[in-house]
Amino acid sequence: MFSYYLQLGLRSLRRNPILTALMVLGIALGIAASMTTLTVMHLMGSDPIPWKSDKLHYVQLDNWSADSPYYDDGRPPDQITYRDAVALVEAGKADRQAAMYKLSLPIQPQNPEVKPFQSLGRVTHSDFFAMFEPPFAHGAPWDRRQDGEHARVIVLGKALNEKLFGGQDSVGRSVRMGGNDYTVVGVLGDWKLRSKYYDLTNGAFNDPDEFFMPFTTAIDLKQRASGNNSCFRSSGDGWDAYLDSDCIWIQMWVQLDSNERLAEYKGFLDSYVNEQKKLGRFERPLNNRLLNVTEWMDDQRVVSRDVEVQTGLAFAFLIVCLVNTIGLLLAKFTRKSGEVGLRRALGASRRDVFSQFLVESGVVGLTGGVVGLALTGLGLVAVRALYPEFRSVAQLDWTMIAVTVALAIVSAVLAGLYPTWRACRVQPAAQLKM
Amino acid sequence: MEIRPILSALMRSKVSMILIGLQVALTLAIVCNALFIIGQRLERMDRPSGINESDTFWFGSNGFAPGYEATSVQKADLALLRGMPGVVDAAPTNSLPLSNGGWGEGIGLQPNQKTSTAQTTIYLVDDHGVATLGTQLVAGRNFKPEEVQDITFGDNLRPRVVIVSKALAERLFPGEDAVGRTIYVNEDNATTIIGVVERLQQPWVDSDSIEFATLVPAFMPYGNATRYAVRTEPGRRDEVMKAVEQKLGETNTGRIIGRMRSMEQIRADAYSGDRAMAIILGTVIFALLAITALGIVGMASFWVAQRTRQIGTRRALGATKGDILRYFQTENFIITTLGLVAGAVLAYAFSLWLMQQYQAPRLPWYYVPIGFVCLWLLGQLAVLGPALRASRVPPAVATRSV
Amino acid sequence: MLKMTHLQKVYRTHLIETHALRDFSIHVRDGEFVAVTGPSGSGKTTFLNIAGLLEEFTGGEYWLDGVDVRGLDDNARSKLRNEKIGFIFQSFNLIPDLNLFDNVDVPLRYRGFNAAERKRRIDEALTRVGLASRMKHYPSELSGGQQQRVAIARALAGSPRLLMADEPTGNLDSLMARGVMELLEEVNRQGTTIVMVTHDPELAARAQRNVHVIDGQVTDFDEAPKLRDPDAASRGAEAVAANG
Repeated sequence: MFSYYLQLGLRSLRRNPILTALMVLGIALGIAASMTTLTVMHLMGSDPIPWKSDKLHYVQLDNWSADSPYYDDGRPPDQITYRDAVALVEAGKADRQAAMYKLSLPIQPQNPEVKPFQSLGRVTHSDFFAMFEPPFAHGAPWDRRQDGEHARVIVLGKALNEKLFGGQDSVGRSVRMGGNDYTVVGVLGDWKLRSKYYDLTNGAFNDPDEFFMPFTTAIDLKQRASGNNSCFRSSGDGWDAYLDSDCIWIQMWVQLDSNERLAEYKGFLDSYVNEQKKLGRFERPLNNRLLNVTEWMDDQRVVSRDVEVQTGLAFAFLIVCLVNTIGLLLAKFTRKSGEVGLRRALGASRRDVFSQFLVESGVVGLTGGVVGLALTGLGLVAVRALYPEFRSVAQLDWTMIAVTVALAIVSAVLAGLYPTWRACRVQPAAQLKM
Repeated sequence: MEIRPILSALMRSKVSMILIGLQVALTLAIVCNALFIIGQRLERMDRPSGINESDTFWFGSNGFAPGYEATSVQKADLALLRGMPGVVDAAPTNSLPLSNGGWGEGIGLQPNQKTSTAQTTIYLVDDHGVATLGTQLVAGRNFKPEEVQDITFGDNLRPRVVIVSKALAERLFPGEDAVGRTIYVNEDNATTIIGVVERLQQPWVDSDSIEFATLVPAFMPYGNATRYAVRTEPGRRDEVMKAVEQKLGETNTGRIIGRMRSMEQIRADAYSGDRAMAIILGTVIFALLAITALGIVGMASFWVAQRTRQIGTRRALGATKGDILRYFQTENFIITTLGLVAGAVLAYAFSLWLMQQYQAPRLPWYYVPIGFVCLWLLGQLAVLGPALRASRVPPAVATRSV
Repeated sequence: MLKMTHLQKVYRTHLIETHALRDFSIHVRDGEFVAVTGPSGSGKTTFLNIAGLLEEFTGGEYWLDGVDVRGLDDNARSKLRNEKIGFIFQSFNLIPDLNLFDNVDVPLRYRGFNAAERKRRIDEALTRVGLASRMKHYPSELSGGQQQRVAIARALAGSPRLLMADEPTGNLDSLMARGVMELLEEVNRQGTTIVMVTHDPELAARAQRNVHVIDGQVTDFDEAPKLRDPDAASRGAEAVAANG
């Protein structure tokens, strides 16, 4: 019976090609707009590390001025000072801990044919790799011992290894950066990061890090961060004064494997800050925070307001398209009330008529979904052109393709419910009096 | 025209009327708010940065060779740049308006003031800064060469003289002459305002205090990194950019010459999000209007088809073609108006939601009446085709047996 | 009142010409009640459409109440229709979305009467057909006979000189049909000329004069009114005398 209804539906749609085209176009446009924005929002905001996002916590301490809060709404600063970062890492109270900052260095390749170039990377502790789990193609991360030794080692990202060594296993080779030589200990594989969620302060959708270098080593070499630096009072002259200052420029993550550990660590942070208060630092009330990955992404508005507004508008647009489809289906089905009367007179039950018209709506939805999918593809091309930094999140995946088609069919069937119900109410004889 | 009978006829096909009305209402609500957002974005993008944008470009130099002397390289670079054909002037600067990265600092009127009077950005330039940027000095004087300090990287800034933007001067000394006045940059460091420029924006387009900028005369390389702004003769920018990249690359191989970016490129990047938002919302508005118009065409065609006999009867009873045309146009006008009234409420509700959720400004009142006019026109245009078809229904239809 | 001479109506498609009316002549005088009969396809309806100014004709002459109809544009024809002719259709053609009052109001609106005048006429017309008490009802709430009476009221409200009726009882049972016929005869007695198209010989017999149409031509008509209703006959005769 279903295939009979399907045939009837297809034939009916072919009979008024313009009306059908209007309906399909309406659904397709609505679906494409909502799916394009939804894809971007979904990929932007989705949990980048679902298996442990509740275990990774971003450390925030409020060392800001007593006179004015860092954020007007009283949230603590989004970075911490060097001295606090070092103190917390050395205390080692979390299951894992890594402080980090962004660093830009000139690289002088040994290959004379490659011109020196500027490279952006990350300075961090060895725990970073166990915490954020980038895949290794060759070698391994440096270890805690090397952290302690301030070792001149480096982990290369896939792209940089490609550029410097043609993608070969470069473990053990040397790289000259900013006038110093570093030994490659590991090379990352393809790390598919939709957003650089571990450093939201310096742009979630900026280019991926090209290298990783031990925190202790970079500090030894007086490498200033290329990311944000904020001071509420002057730091004093020179490198040592800077390290000792209340300027904030470091991000700090800890891994806490259970809620008990989280509670313990909170207690530790509070007691640490209270100790510091005795030294005259931390003038503001206790304001420590340990947000997990998804909380931190919400807090830092990884999904921008613009994207949210766009998604909202796109769904409102979909509603308009659906209202439009309801109207057109109503028109179409009403025009067929003679046929319904005839079918009913010939023995079709109300249920039969209901199924027939609902299948017809579904066919409109399916067609609209397929066209909408193609338009969504185009829409994402447009998003990538408009927002080059979103290229990692403006991609269709299988889930979204399935959601698109399903949404289209469900929308069309929903839109078809009322017109179908109306069609079913036609009395068998009513239309046959001529 | 016969409004009441049309209305009573409409009341007997409520669902179709509600569907079109709902569509019109949602369209009005979305279009008004989206247009408002687009308008805000365009206004934002239209703000002048205060500097010459058409002939200016910016680039960085980053030394890596052992023994690289950033300060001396910088002085040599500047001499070379200023001597190049097509160059009007060149200056070192840590940052530029629209560049989205720079130095923010609080300014006080007293030493060690607890909360600063204004948040400014600091542009570190030399005595060529004002001329290179092309901003107008409206009071006081420019920096003298001997006022430009050499500051070691990592040391604190202690300027003795500064030039401020007019907006900042006005904030610090409302209604007074700011030239010669003392302000405090960096806690207790007293500095004198020697000049005021017409306009100079901060590097951050989202800044609350975007018009508050301060020029400080200092050479301060960031490690081995320096940046230069170059202004060329009109129309020669691209040519000079190429020449500079080549020439500076040749003079010193111990450094990397960073990507050359024209101010136009920098502006486009700074506002790319706003531009994208405006384009996306514009597309949504267009699609929405198209869908609504098509919906009206579809429904009106259906009504005409359904009422062919009725139209014939009216014609038989003496209605002219014009009467029939007007009937359908009046009908559309009524439905659209009902939808628009609902839409106006929806538009303000939507605006209220945006205000609460995103601290968006209130929708100005005149957007809704403008939207009314647009949608009335859209409705009348959309219904014209079906209405004309209706007016061509021959009166003889009335005598045809069913 | 209505005079057609050598009227022609040809429908052309790209292949064939169909002569719906050929050399059709008829003269209906003021106050007459004429029945036009004929088998289906004979051209009755074409005659009605042309006589009612619903369609144009391709040749011959047509004078309606002293107006030469040839060459009138669409708007002039609409105006003429509205002022001079009332229509009664087989399937009533009431507008389902409007109540009785508004249905009767339709031609008056196009006539441009003011509100008070329209209300007076609607009340009067509905009273005349005995439905004044139901003016807020919708057509679907009435029986077929009642609907046709509303249609008659609508036709009469504008005080037309000529009433064109197309099988006015075709969709009614015999009881209702008789009521409608009596109403038409009553209207005729009060001075309105009626041209009624029907294929029902019994109905035709009640008219004063029968015109028989076959194959687009008038084949047979009684020149003199039948003397069945003395009242009507005398008035018919006066009318004939007055006219010519």
